[in-house]
Amino acid sequence: MTLAGRLKAPGWSRAALSQPIGFLVALGVVVGVRALYGYDPLVDWDAIITVVLIALPLAFLVGIGCFDYWFRWASGAPTVPEDHSGHGARSWKDYFYVNTDHKVIGIQYIVTTFFFFIAGGLMAMVMRAELAQPGTQFVEPNTYNGLFSVHASLMIFLFIIPVFAGIANYVIPLMIGAPDMAFPRLNALSFWMLPTAGILMLASFFADGGAFATGWTAYAPLSTETPLGQTFFTIAVQFAGASSIATALNFLVTIITMRAPGMTFWRMPLLVWANFTTSLLVVIATPFIAGSQFFVLLDRSLGTNFFNVGANGDALMYQHVFWFYSHPAVYIMMLPGFGIVSEVISANARKPVFGYRMMAFSLMAIVVLGFTVWAHHMFVSGMFSWLRVPMMITTMLIAVPTGIKIFSWLATLWRGVIHLTTPMLFALGFITMFTLGGISGIMLAVIPVVIHVSDTYFVVAHIHYVLFGGSVFTIFAGIYHWFPKMTGRMYDESLGKLHFWLSFVFFNLTFGPMHLVGVDGMPRRVADYAEQFATMNVIISVSSFLFGLSFLVFLYNMVTSWRNGPKAAANPWRAHTLEWQVSSPPPIFNFDEVPTVVGGPYEYGVPGAVHGVFKEKRGAAVPAGGGGAPPPAE
Amino acid sequence: MESASIAPGGHAAEHAEHHGPPAANQSSRLESQFLGMLLFIISEVMLFGAFFAAYFFIRVVGEADWPAKGEELPVAVAGVNTAILISSSFTMHWALEGARNGNRRALRAGLFTTMMLGLTFLSIQINEYVNIGFAPADNAQGSIFYGLTGLHGAHVFVGLTLLTFATIRAFRGHFSIKEHRGVEVPGIYWHFVDVMWIVVYTTIYVL
Repeated sequence: MTLAGRLKAPGWSRAALSQPIGFLVALGVVVGVRALYGYDPLVDWDAIITVVLIALPLAFLVGIGCFDYWFRWASGAPTVPEDHSGHGARSWKDYFYVNTDHKVIGIQYIVTTFFFFIAGGLMAMVMRAELAQPGTQFVEPNTYNGLFSVHASLMIFLFIIPVFAGIANYVIPLMIGAPDMAFPRLNALSFWMLPTAGILMLASFFADGGAFATGWTAYAPLSTETPLGQTFFTIAVQFAGASSIATALNFLVTIITMRAPGMTFWRMPLLVWANFTTSLLVVIATPFIAGSQFFVLLDRSLGTNFFNVGANGDALMYQHVFWFYSHPAVYIMMLPGFGIVSEVISANARKPVFGYRMMAFSLMAIVVLGFTVWAHHMFVSGMFSWLRVPMMITTMLIAVPTGIKIFSWLATLWRGVIHLTTPMLFALGFITMFTLGGISGIMLAVIPVVIHVSDTYFVVAHIHYVLFGGSVFTIFAGIYHWFPKMTGRMYDESLGKLHFWLSFVFFNLTFGPMHLVGVDGMPRRVADYAEQFATMNVIISVSSFLFGLSFLVFLYNMVTSWRNGPKAAANPWRAHTLEWQVSSPPPIFNFDEVPTVVGGPYEYGVPGAVHGVFKEKRGAAVPAGGGGAPPPAE
Repeated sequence: MESASIAPGGHAAEHAEHHGPPAANQSSRLESQFLGMLLFIISEVMLFGAFFAAYFFIRVVGEADWPAKGEELPVAVAGVNTAILISSSFTMHWALEGARNGNRRALRAGLFTTMMLGLTFLSIQINEYVNIGFAPADNAQGSIFYGLTGLHGAHVFVGLTLLTFATIRAFRGHFSIKEHRGVEVPGIYWHFVDVMWIVVYTTIYVL
């Protein structure tokens, strides 16, 4: 293609061209507006950078080609097949372009989010290096604050939330017997917003004054007064949030309108239920964090007074609005994992999920209760004191539906024929670790306890037990479980088990001791600490390095197995759900013929039970045509 | 006036435009576009909810004067503006009925009038900003006043953009008795923008 042709067609050349154009437009807007209002100086770089940070991602999205179809549609021009970017990926290069196939998007999501997982993990390693001894060794306190802030933001907004969206993107249309998502182009747009958000967060390290250093919670009025890096966070969260809302909307519409014949709500696999409920949470709650960050951005850039108490503003309002999203967000980070674990445990214990309907009901209960507990993050904030006890009670109440799930999994295991595959090990690891995290969560719900341990390493231990031992273990379980479906190849089982045991042991050695130093009063989010915590911290740091190294086993296993692993069967786990009834990887439009669902998804061990049937042939269909995922080339 | 009526079946090009995956089983009576817009509106309502939460904390919890001392809100002008925006919901309905009945002239006139009413609303709003006598940076009341009305103004702008698309397409001969979701779905959004304004007007100006 000629250069002019490349610059006109969607892709990286046009995306590259879009950046200087976006910059000039932003510059023109700021200078123009300032001239109009007669502000002095005309060129204010803080203002320009703020607008540039909004303009560049948008320009990139236009350049890479997310909007091409809509531009033609809106102008009433005829649309062309290329708008749909074909379907499926023919080579690894196709993963770097806008594609509307949910299977391609799923893999794009997972690989991208793991990139940010590694980035966030490396920051944790630097922090642990700094904390290995009291005093200052490697990083300045301000850099340290930036590190833990970016670490948490990346892990939450760029890893756990979107990686679940990625797994669900791949699996859900297959599970419900649909050819794709309801809005494939919106799906592509949601994906491409993510890397822009992640790069904004990483780029904040280069901002004047360093990366945003107010934690991932960015409490006002601290966040309205810190240097420029904070603006990067504020805007990045808007992109990540928009991506999250668009995907959730897409899941909801897909699950409601595109289920195969016979797939009633009470025949849906629990992963579908889990993502249905998660998506409800996302659609309802995420606008609140958008709101909170709008206020911060307005206070920072236009000098409004939302959080300025001197001008009738309310600083505590930030925390109420923020946590009204961010508490439901912890369920956004957990419910899809519950779904994955239900699939893995049932298939590997060869038993129907115990209490299937209660599992779905408890998900719904968590959605409702999740909106009633936000202020338990604010027990020491000086909020209305009458709100404390109700929040303590609702917080304890929410352990009931969660407990229903834990006991249902245990009952599913009871007298099952347990296959200790890698995904099963991670699922079992999840149950134990998440229960421990849940117990420390109950402790943190108790007001007298939390007043003592608030902002100590006890909280750090709790959050890592629920988010790593909980969510990330389910992510690993899900990746191993669906790896053969996604890539058409089998991972190395012994390396997988090694990965599990290394991460399980060193996870506990890293975060277990944090409970102890936390109760003793070691404050979190500080680069230095008292001499008395030195022994524990060196143990934690050494374990954390080994814990970090255990991830390399996973990475090696994934890369080599994707390239050279043995070919996977269509249904290596002998699972009943629909995604296993097609080839690995699935054909380009998932099903050559839409299956009919005739029974529940988990009737393992029930003689003759099937979940879905194809008119022509039952069981594993081997349709023509590739699609799906080729191995990554060098 | 050959364009004043549309043959059922509509624009031939619209059928040749489908290139995506094969049709899925329809497991709900709800149309996906309709449901998608509904869910989007739910999340939009929640975004307004965040701004109303700020309003609540500043005005009710913080017991700030409303409006701030020495400031006045143009309740009557904004009331006229409210009437303009509400009437645009009726013209939107007129356009949709035109599309449903194959009356292309009503479709075009309805869409065009709706857009003009929306633009009038926005210009009156901007004029109000210019003459109101306080700025967003003056105090928190000003911040939330501009925040809520500005957020709503941004939604009017988005609604106008969607309507522009629909108008362009209507004038280029798209939409038919059977296929007029491109009018219906922006229409739902436009009605939402109107209803939201009634809430904003009541809480900001009247109460």
